[in-house]
Amino acid sequence: MRGLWRVVARREFVERGRDRGFVISTAITLLILVGVIVLSSVFGRGTRFDLAVVGEGSMGEDVVAAAAALGIEVTLVEPADARAAERLVRDGGADAALLDGDRILVRSNPAEQLVGVIQAVALRERSKAALVASGLSEMDVDAALAQPPLPVRALDPVDARQRENAVVAFVGVLALYGQLFAYGYWVASGVVEEKASRVVEVLLATVRPSQLLRGKILGIGLLGLAQLLLIGVVGLGTARAVGSLEFPSGAVATIGVVLAWFVLGFFFYAGLFAVAGSIVMRQEDLQTTMTPLTIVIVASFFVGINATQDPGSTLATVASLLPPSAPLVMPSRIVLGEASGWSIVLSAAVSISATIALIPIATKIYSRAVLRSGRVRIRQLLRAERS
Amino acid sequence: MLELLRLSRRFGRVVALDDVSFSVAEGQIVGFVGPNGAGKTTAMRIALGVLTADAGEVRWRGETLDAATRRRFGYLPEERGLYPKMRVLDQLVYLARLHGLEPGEARRQAERTVALLGVADRARDRTESLSQGNQQRVQLAAALVHAPEALVLDEPFSGLDPVGVDVLSGVLREQAAEGVPVVFSSHQLDLVERLCESVVLIHHGKIVAAGRIAELRAADPRHLVRVVVAGASPGWLDRLDGVLVLEPLPDGAILELTDRAREVQVLDAAREAGEVRHFSVIQPSLTEIFRRAVQA
Repeated sequence: MRGLWRVVARREFVERGRDRGFVISTAITLLILVGVIVLSSVFGRGTRFDLAVVGEGSMGEDVVAAAAALGIEVTLVEPADARAAERLVRDGGADAALLDGDRILVRSNPAEQLVGVIQAVALRERSKAALVASGLSEMDVDAALAQPPLPVRALDPVDARQRENAVVAFVGVLALYGQLFAYGYWVASGVVEEKASRVVEVLLATVRPSQLLRGKILGIGLLGLAQLLLIGVVGLGTARAVGSLEFPSGAVATIGVVLAWFVLGFFFYAGLFAVAGSIVMRQEDLQTTMTPLTIVIVASFFVGINATQDPGSTLATVASLLPPSAPLVMPSRIVLGEASGWSIVLSAAVSISATIALIPIATKIYSRAVLRSGRVRIRQLLRAERS
Repeated sequence: MLELLRLSRRFGRVVALDDVSFSVAEGQIVGFVGPNGAGKTTAMRIALGVLTADAGEVRWRGETLDAATRRRFGYLPEERGLYPKMRVLDQLVYLARLHGLEPGEARRQAERTVALLGVADRARDRTESLSQGNQQRVQLAAALVHAPEALVLDEPFSGLDPVGVDVLSGVLREQAAEGVPVVFSSHQLDLVERLCESVVLIHHGKIVAAGRIAELRAADPRHLVRVVVAGASPGWLDRLDGVLVLEPLPDGAILELTDRAREVQVLDAAREAGEVRHFSVIQPSLTEIFRRAVQA
């Protein structure tokens, strides 16, 4: 009967989805993710400072204006007296305190950018006072001192958006690597479980091996996709809640790209993992038969990490088109804007074609190996006419 | 009627089945008997489509068996197998679904079957936490959960305690009474004799005898005597002519006589040798029939 693979897929999804180990590991992943995002928003403030200002002759407003010209945001806090200001600095309520316009107080490491701005403002104010004292009119002095900062031309400009995208791409590659490995392993160990417990003979009296394999791969793949989606949604929601993403639209696109390449990568690898599982009898032997797959995935992972830094390299370009490495390399190139539309389509098309070509071969080997006991040689299976 | 017609199968150079044919009628319980490696499991696997035959075919109600029909069969493989971590009831519901039952019906049948085999109180437990005997009962439940049209059971009694044997015997009789053809393999020939009207004997991949047990007995021309003598000196039987020891017993033996006339001679010799505790003319047991068929 048709549609039996759905019954198989449903079992895989439900049984694994409610497995205690799965639930706990998903919860831990989410906790870590939320924790990292919240912590990075607390510590990764960047160029925002709180300045406590006390006493007369303070240059608070001047500092704010001068800092703004340099792209630095300074917020003024006004404690009652010097002692209150000191307490603020000590508690971290202020990054620095400016006391009576002639002393700067910091906790231990001075916030260099903030102190630099204060020093520049103070220097100007003192120069102005000295020049006025020497007889120049205040207006002339102001006119002379009110010079715009020198323009800076960066040979290699750092794009804030690009930097954030690189971080997001890195997280994406990490997630894809973990997910491809974990769910590929599940396919392989699921095949071994059925073989080792011999339940496969009961199953094969009612379903064809191809239906069993299809259901297993689709059920596990769907669970992987659901888990990835959950992680993406929770991560994005947390980041928005704490306001740590400057470009949330980029993150949404990244999640989409990661999900799409998980699907492409998982289906490419799933058949191979199933073969690795079908030729052994015990879980202990699985490591050996999975080794070639492990090597390819780990190597692709390193190329993928490299691509988050240098997405335009020849290595990254080539690797993003090859089905085994594309799922770990192409997402970075897309997120970082290095991949052209046609290369994305080409990469996906090559992955899909390779998967379509592999599945019948994998199914054939799996069907012949799954009822055999002992270690089976793939070459034998391809040669044998029947199992 | 389930028919296995002229099945042949080789594994490399080993001939596992050589032109094997037999049939099981609706409501009939057939014992499939033979030593290890005779081809029982291969024949049953082919009947269920788990293996393919090199030649021959399997028919159900006169038509070549296809995958859709096979799914309405119940099968107990020689190599028992269940998902160790799945709960008993979930496992049976899943298998019932694979056999084509709708979700609600699958659940009802699963609950019915665990009750039938006396493991209802363990239905919510993980299969691996059950004792071997109870796992065996769950395995049988897996073969019965979809109310199969035919039952093919490979060594269903091995691993069962005497209570389990009685439960299973009862279940098989009920199934047969409902018109289900039942074929099972076994080493326990006494059990086969009690449960089956007909048997199929297989040896080295060939059927050596088949039919109703009563007819196989009637067709056996041998004169068998069972004699037990207390206090006899060893070797008293060796002095008798026309007598063959088929099976030594404590203080006695099962003997095959060349003709009926020798019965009296044996009895006289026994009385001379010691105190006769038992003397009877017996019909050949299944074991005897099988031995003879194999030697032929």
